[in-house]
Amino acid sequence: MIINPADFGYIVPYLILVITGLLLVLAEAFYKGKDRTALVSLAVAGALAGAIASVVLYRQVAPGARVTLFGEMLFADRTGYILSALFCVATALTALISPAHQREHEWQLGEYYGLLLLSASGMVMLAHAANLVTIFLGIETMSIAIYVMCAMRRRSRRGNEAAMKYFLIGAFATGFLMYGMALLYGAAGTSNLLRMQSALAATSNPGLVIAGGFLLVVAFGFKIAAVPFHMWAPDAYEGAPTPVTAFMAAAVKAAAVAAMMRLFGLALGGDLLPYGRLGWASPFVVIAAITITLGNISAIRQDNVKRMLAYSSISHGGVLLVGICSLGLGAVSANGSLIYYLIAYTLSTLGAFAVVIYVGSRGNERTLVDDWSGLASKHGGAALAMTVCLLSFGGMPPTGGFFGKFYVFKSAMEVYDGQLLWLVVIGILNSAISIFYYLRIVTAMYFKEPTTPFTPTKSGGLIFVMALCPLLVLEMGIMPGFWLKLVGG
Amino acid sequence: MSDILFKVGYGHFLVLAAVLFLIGMGGVLVRRNALIILMSVELMLNAANMTLLTFARMWGDLSAHTFALIVIAVAAAEAAVGLAIVVAVFRGRRNVDVDKLTALRH
Repeated sequence: MIINPADFGYIVPYLILVITGLLLVLAEAFYKGKDRTALVSLAVAGALAGAIASVVLYRQVAPGARVTLFGEMLFADRTGYILSALFCVATALTALISPAHQREHEWQLGEYYGLLLLSASGMVMLAHAANLVTIFLGIETMSIAIYVMCAMRRRSRRGNEAAMKYFLIGAFATGFLMYGMALLYGAAGTSNLLRMQSALAATSNPGLVIAGGFLLVVAFGFKIAAVPFHMWAPDAYEGAPTPVTAFMAAAVKAAAVAAMMRLFGLALGGDLLPYGRLGWASPFVVIAAITITLGNISAIRQDNVKRMLAYSSISHGGVLLVGICSLGLGAVSANGSLIYYLIAYTLSTLGAFAVVIYVGSRGNERTLVDDWSGLASKHGGAALAMTVCLLSFGGMPPTGGFFGKFYVFKSAMEVYDGQLLWLVVIGILNSAISIFYYLRIVTAMYFKEPTTPFTPTKSGGLIFVMALCPLLVLEMGIMPGFWLKLVGG
Repeated sequence: MSDILFKVGYGHFLVLAAVLFLIGMGGVLVRRNALIILMSVELMLNAANMTLLTFARMWGDLSAHTFALIVIAVAAAEAAVGLAIVVAVFRGRRNVDVDKLTALRH
């Protein structure tokens, strides 16, 4: 493998994240003084620098062009850069909402910010992955850092339990991922995603392709919490510290989808591999349909807001799977729709969890729906922010979530012969169902009397995120043109 | 019959790896001790490595050897984090039985 020094210029966002992450871990060791949350400014600066570098490089690369780096290990293309900018922004927003929660619930650990940025570096690698090796490395860099972040409240029984469940399931999924990759490599003779499609189509061992594809479906099913591989998600989301939950629900899911876009859209896509009774598309569409439906139905009977958001994010994972299916089955617009959906979903998720942090206080996280009664009369802004994010989740206009769902389902309709039409119908029916439980929170906030006085967690960063995310989500819904142009290139 | 015993080819390695993978998977699904689950996961990863190396030799391709080395390194990092989590859980509860992790179940 010959490494061209110019290649390093293309991975500046990644380098910034890694270096800042390592600096933050070191700074924690040498930092004097009790309040470690001061490290947050370095973390935000690093993540924002990564985002700016991604935007600059996005403009450097021509639309549709695809530069390969480091002996075809990474791609530099517009899809990769827009996703890495999204991951960097999500990281910065997570870093902004964390210090208030850390101070309020007394788990001030500086390593947290280092791990946050290192995890983001894994996501950026996934966004640019061009090889099975980089997909594996990206997923593991991301996941291992998240396992530690989940377990950071060492004295919390629930936190430990969440970390343990997340870790064991994640490691189990890694086993499937690795074995699936090994089988695909065996069938193709190359681990390069670009060359894999033609090599797999011409393979003399279709059994290996089928088994490998099936194992990868299982592995990614675990990673994005698709039904029936979702059982860990509600527990992990409820038990983890809320900023970590926000990061898991928003960025980790988006990164897993980025990897799937490369793997299932490119290496396993095309005219031959996904089709037929034994192609990967058949189990995938069924999983997508079950995931959307069961995620919603389980969310209806939740009383805990964090668990409800967890089930709603499972259901959103199902919609993302619809997008992946249409990408693999050759819908041209699916790439752009998926990215648009990911941006809207990530922003709404971060906004919603920021409000969850705001409402809770020491010793009383106030995560039950009843605890939210009457929020609007005391803290109108927070209630409004939550309402906008929930409407975006439910796919109501004029929010980004509406256009996200609209475009994903539109690309699903583009698939040859209307094969995914039934899936679109299921998806739209579920959108209607989901409004029901989102409105439960809204009615509690607006039409009920407060039971106990609110003692919100206040901090500048938190309020900034609570204002920014709903505004951006609304902007995406009112003026989608700019964003569509962005994701279309 | 004796051919299977004395002429060892790629197939033997692949079957051995598949059996190891199934044993590991069975271990994760059946055993309830977190440490044993961790060991079973390692078994699954090693089975994947063995498959990878067998195919690498079959295709005469060196790059998959590097892949296997990376997997070994990552598995070690994962095990380190996993053991730390197991210790943290053990401190709070005095056991690491995954069936007894029920604080979050509804």
